[in-house]
Amino acid sequence: MSNLRDQGAEFWAKWDRPRRVTFVIASIAVAASLPFAGNFSITNILNTPISSYQDVLVYPVGMFVLMALGLNIVVGKSGMLDLGYVAFFAIGAYSMAILGTHTHLNMWEIFPIGIALAMFAGVLLGIPTLRLRGDYLAIVTMGFGEIVRITALNTQKIGGPNGIANIPSPPSLFGLKFNISHPNSFFWVVLVLILLTIWMIRRLSIRRPGRAWEAIRQDEDAAELMGVPTLKYKIWSFVLGAGVGGAAGVVYASKAIFISPDAFTFNISVLILSCVVFGGIGNIWGVVLGGVFLAYLPERIRFISNARQLVFGIVLVLVMNFRPDGILPRKKREKALLTKDDLGGKND
Amino acid sequence: MHTLISQFWQLTFSGAVQGFIYVLISLGYTMVYGVLRMINFANSEIFMVGTFATVVITRDLLGHPANGPDLHGATLIFTMLLCLLGSMLVSGLVAMLVELLAYRRLRSLGTNRLAPLISAIGMSIILSESVSLLTEGRAVPDPEVLHKSSLATILGANIRIDQLLVVIVAPIMFFSLQRFVNHTRLGKGIRAVSMNEETAKLMGININRVISITFLIGGLMTGASAFFFETVYEATKFNIGFNIGIAAFTAAVLGGIGNIRGAFVGGLALGLLETYASAVLGSQWKAITVFIVLIVVLLFRPNGLFGEAVQQTRV
Amino acid sequence: MKLTSKKAIGAIAVVIVAIVAVSLVATKGTSYSYYIAYQGPLTGDNKQTGLDEIAGVKYALAKYNEAHPKAQIGLKQVDDQGSGTGASVVAPGTAKDKSIIAIVGPAFSGASIASFPYYRAAALPMISPSATKVTLTDPAVKSDFGGPYFHRIPSKDDKQGPSLAHLAIKGIKSPVVYSVNDQSSYGVGLDGFVQSTLKATPGVKVAGDDTVDGANTTLDFSATISKIKAGNANVVIYSGYYAQAAGFVKQLRNAGYKGVFASGDGTYDPGFITDAGTAAEGALLTASSAVFQDAGATITADFTKVIGSAPGTYAVEDYDATNILLNCIDQGSTTRDAIQTCINKGSFKGLMGNTISFDANGDVAGTGFINSFVVTGGAIKSTGQIK
Repeated sequence: MSNLRDQGAEFWAKWDRPRRVTFVIASIAVAASLPFAGNFSITNILNTPISSYQDVLVYPVGMFVLMALGLNIVVGKSGMLDLGYVAFFAIGAYSMAILGTHTHLNMWEIFPIGIALAMFAGVLLGIPTLRLRGDYLAIVTMGFGEIVRITALNTQKIGGPNGIANIPSPPSLFGLKFNISHPNSFFWVVLVLILLTIWMIRRLSIRRPGRAWEAIRQDEDAAELMGVPTLKYKIWSFVLGAGVGGAAGVVYASKAIFISPDAFTFNISVLILSCVVFGGIGNIWGVVLGGVFLAYLPERIRFISNARQLVFGIVLVLVMNFRPDGILPRKKREKALLTKDDLGGKND
Repeated sequence: MHTLISQFWQLTFSGAVQGFIYVLISLGYTMVYGVLRMINFANSEIFMVGTFATVVITRDLLGHPANGPDLHGATLIFTMLLCLLGSMLVSGLVAMLVELLAYRRLRSLGTNRLAPLISAIGMSIILSESVSLLTEGRAVPDPEVLHKSSLATILGANIRIDQLLVVIVAPIMFFSLQRFVNHTRLGKGIRAVSMNEETAKLMGININRVISITFLIGGLMTGASAFFFETVYEATKFNIGFNIGIAAFTAAVLGGIGNIRGAFVGGLALGLLETYASAVLGSQWKAITVFIVLIVVLLFRPNGLFGEAVQQTRV
Repeated sequence: MKLTSKKAIGAIAVVIVAIVAVSLVATKGTSYSYYIAYQGPLTGDNKQTGLDEIAGVKYALAKYNEAHPKAQIGLKQVDDQGSGTGASVVAPGTAKDKSIIAIVGPAFSGASIASFPYYRAAALPMISPSATKVTLTDPAVKSDFGGPYFHRIPSKDDKQGPSLAHLAIKGIKSPVVYSVNDQSSYGVGLDGFVQSTLKATPGVKVAGDDTVDGANTTLDFSATISKIKAGNANVVIYSGYYAQAAGFVKQLRNAGYKGVFASGDGTYDPGFITDAGTAAEGALLTASSAVFQDAGATITADFTKVIGSAPGTYAVEDYDATNILLNCIDQGSTTRDAIQTCINKGSFKGLMGNTISFDANGDVAGTGFINSFVVTGGAIKSTGQIK
């Protein structure tokens, strides 16, 4: 008997195009209607105590899924351990906060700027450090995350420990209002970003970069010998991951209205990494599931206030021990070169 | 800059004290890394538990009151020895427990490298949250037993007895450990597993036992460090391990992780660097200075200062 | 191990069933018609402040419910971890929960700022026991202003900062001052007012300033202490919370520093003396209120009996804030709007016999006084009011 992920893939392979399209559309519709689940008597078990369910869907749930997908490009696809992913989230959020409060640019205009800045930071960090291997890279990225946070904490011009308040909400788009009483609109934006990221990863996975990442992950030296420009592709995966983190940051800042350095601690990097590994490293659907579960769980069990972090720790240890490859692991030997049949019908 | 010049020896002395505390903790990281090639994420919390062991022994076991009189003579030596051994033992056992719960099963399954990392992160959350619940998240003072008398002033540096103790005893512990790893049967076993697990297995070494003992030794050193920390600073809190753990891990990497001598140099360098940076730039920038120095060092020596070059002292 | 789909589905099912079961059990508790909420750090690095505070709220509530067995009021615990980030997760839900008619809190200034937009939109009145940042009640600073729903019991930092600076240098011929803050929103704010006062005072030499890491406890202050000694400072002013201050003053005294040590209301706590021991002797403190213990041995003993631990930081402010809300409920205000009106119009009696009423911006009306204290013989002794 094969594992759940492989079974899913088998079903997918058997389906014809219309069936696939229907399935994809239906799944997106279910995800998009999640905010309404809190209102019905059967599904209101999803409601979170104290915190508002609709807002929890945006942050942490949506944001964590998005960031976990971004980190998965770095950790899962090309096998580099990044412990400072929160830095890119912070750069996106601070771009939004600073530009939003000091200029007349709105969120939609700042969005590409935030992504660009995060990607630029990725290049800046990546070029000198991506030559390092394994755990050395881990600590350098962790250091970078802390450098960003501590700099924000000690720079009074950007609020120091007080952070930045009154970040403007985005203007309406397609008739959707964005402000504190409309968390659902933000959820849909995050959902679109998640879908775009998934689409991007799937496209890249079957093309040259995906094959290069796979080669790097399995044996970097061999890849280099075979003529794969490893550094170039490592920087690419790092920068793409950074861009996704930056995008999450911009949306987060405009949703939360207020940011301060304590939103960008090392703990967040660790949590996002946990989402990736917990769900199933390298497998998009596992990562999504991991993000949803680990972000949602602490909110859902808020009623045990004091002990909820403890429960969280116990869940991590138990699940990792009994499902070391995550809830939905990737295929035993992830094929780098997928046949055309394995692709989402929508994409061709 | 003025402070650095006028207080240079004072800063060097306090930096060395801090550095030796790091040295012992980074041994906890480096030993485990040596045999498993994994970051023992829970080591910072093993340290934290060690500090609480010292508090519990002095305050509850020996009933020393919070602001009671300082001890002298034989009672003092007995109390401090008991605390040192107690902290070491508790930390050592907790480290073995961490290995058992977070690593062993995963190791036997031969999984990817990240699963044990997350499992260890889970263990460190469990440890720190349990202590947090027990202490209500409060800082817990450790009763003073050793009077912090000033012994001498050398080159303007105030040499305090507690700090001197750290500077003398910590290196002794370090060199005994190094001797143990290099010369005893068990130490050779650890090195064998570190160099090649498969071959070691074929040579008849019980891998599980060796790994368990490596965790124990790492824990013992971390526990000793926790005792010294309490002797100097006399307070602890559930989240005390986090920053000091990051610093010690940085020290281990700076020296070349997996390398025992590297931990010594890295820890000491980090302690001094932090103290000098705080004096020149302000305490808020010390972490940044440390990381920038680390990045620069790794650029020129990608495996740390000592790296893999010193094979025979590699655990 | 072969990871079969059966096992996977089984594992997921177990987790889901567990969550459902636990939450069903958890929601089975007593339900009340009205709730007040306490918002503050109940987990995370600052949880000791939140736990001390919620004890004050619980005590006031227990007394009320004891006296009103027919109209009991419930308490909802809103954990914002003391951070703006945490607050922006919980504030929307708290605002939407119609059974909550008022909030004691938010405890911290950053969390307050992050929460304001949600509570303003939901017209939810707040009384904070401990958020002292000046701009929270300054309508000119739109980004931070919490009015009209925000009220607070303690004095603002701009009142305390100058008092603290003056108290620290009082009676010293040529004061050389070194100021230290703990990088928290509170510490940096207070330190700013201390420093600007010092700079404006003739004859005072400012030797320098430094920060210590308050968020994650690093207990090594040797570099800061070296700087204090290098600058030959004879006055050290610390802006931050007591746990860190205790460790700091201990090391400062151990290093042979003989001058003045002064600190603000974050340090004004019996825990400061417990933690610092003899090193706390002679420390000068400022605070806008008294400690709960000053209200008398009987009520302190009762508090300890009901709660199970002695009253701690901000217990007085929490007790007063809760009582103001309960007072309003008792008078028949059982909607958010009614309580808001009641808080703004009313005049209430505090635990220490003082009268509390709020001005238009949410501060306690009148000048708001600052008391000065000195630590002698292992206790905090009042040395009277500072003008």
